[in-house]
Amino acid sequence: MSETSEETWGIAHVYASFNNTLITITDQTGAETIAKSSGGTVVKQNRDEASPYAAMQMAEVVAEEVKAAGIDGVHVRVRGPGGNLNKSPGPGAQATIRALARAGLEIGRIEDVTPIPHDGTRAPKNRRF
Amino acid sequence: MQHVKVPQDRIGVLIGDGGETMREIESQAEVRLDIDSESGSVAIDSVGDPVTGLVAPDIVQAIGRGFSPEAALSLLNDEMRMFDLIDLDEQTRNKNDLQRQKGRLIGENGRTRQLMEELSGAEVVIYGSTLGIIGQPEEVEAVRRAAGMLLDGAPHGAVYSFLERKHNELTRGFDVSSD
Repeated sequence: MSETSEETWGIAHVYASFNNTLITITDQTGAETIAKSSGGTVVKQNRDEASPYAAMQMAEVVAEEVKAAGIDGVHVRVRGPGGNLNKSPGPGAQATIRALARAGLEIGRIEDVTPIPHDGTRAPKNRRF
Repeated sequence: MQHVKVPQDRIGVLIGDGGETMREIESQAEVRLDIDSESGSVAIDSVGDPVTGLVAPDIVQAIGRGFSPEAALSLLNDEMRMFDLIDLDEQTRNKNDLQRQKGRLIGENGRTRQLMEELSGAEVVIYGSTLGIIGQPEEVEAVRRAAGMLLDGAPHGAVYSFLERKHNELTRGFDVSSD
């Protein structure tokens, strides 16, 4: 990674579940939020909140805001629901990262931070989809 | 670095003739594959652009779950194209039930599976105890719903009419956007 001292990096926290996608971009410490967005800001119907299209639009809006705040690149931390729920990030995750990259933000490291239980509570009973 | 398990009889397909498929994946997705043909474990290291390397685990898993290398590599052609896997083992009660449900999903001479592919436009592969889908998000969603209906015990006729309706919606949407 060619990281010059001039570039400012942030962290894009992407929480992609099957019902929604949340994007929060913070500074490198993670304490200061620069921009955030969720599915409901771009779509009307609840069931579309997790769709990749919504994620793309959100990422575009967020990327604009972040660039205005003077950040050139982001490290990405994707997360699915985790715990004893679904371990894989939802459909919005990939779309978000791609859209962020296309909006002109440099993508640094991509990390999966889905919480994995070290054998915690009992999983909910299996439901049909 | 990520690990994906590939069953023994799909390792050959993943590597390809003289390592052809493996090299194809490596160059197109900008990753390095470390295949352990004894245990079937594949280690994936992204060497180039991390964004293109993102789909590599999906490609490897798709091949591992019965897709042809061409179908799996089509994931790279289009941004939105996605891979989804339904674990039938989780949705069925026991071995006999798995066998029965797989039969229902595949249909007589593969008719149900074929209709799922034709009417949705996605690619559907049933292999072992999984049902894999590769296609656009709406297509994948349609197949997922159809498979869910069949697993819930819906009659095939109802599922076909559902798919038919989805087919009309999907193609109509396409016409509008192409105008």
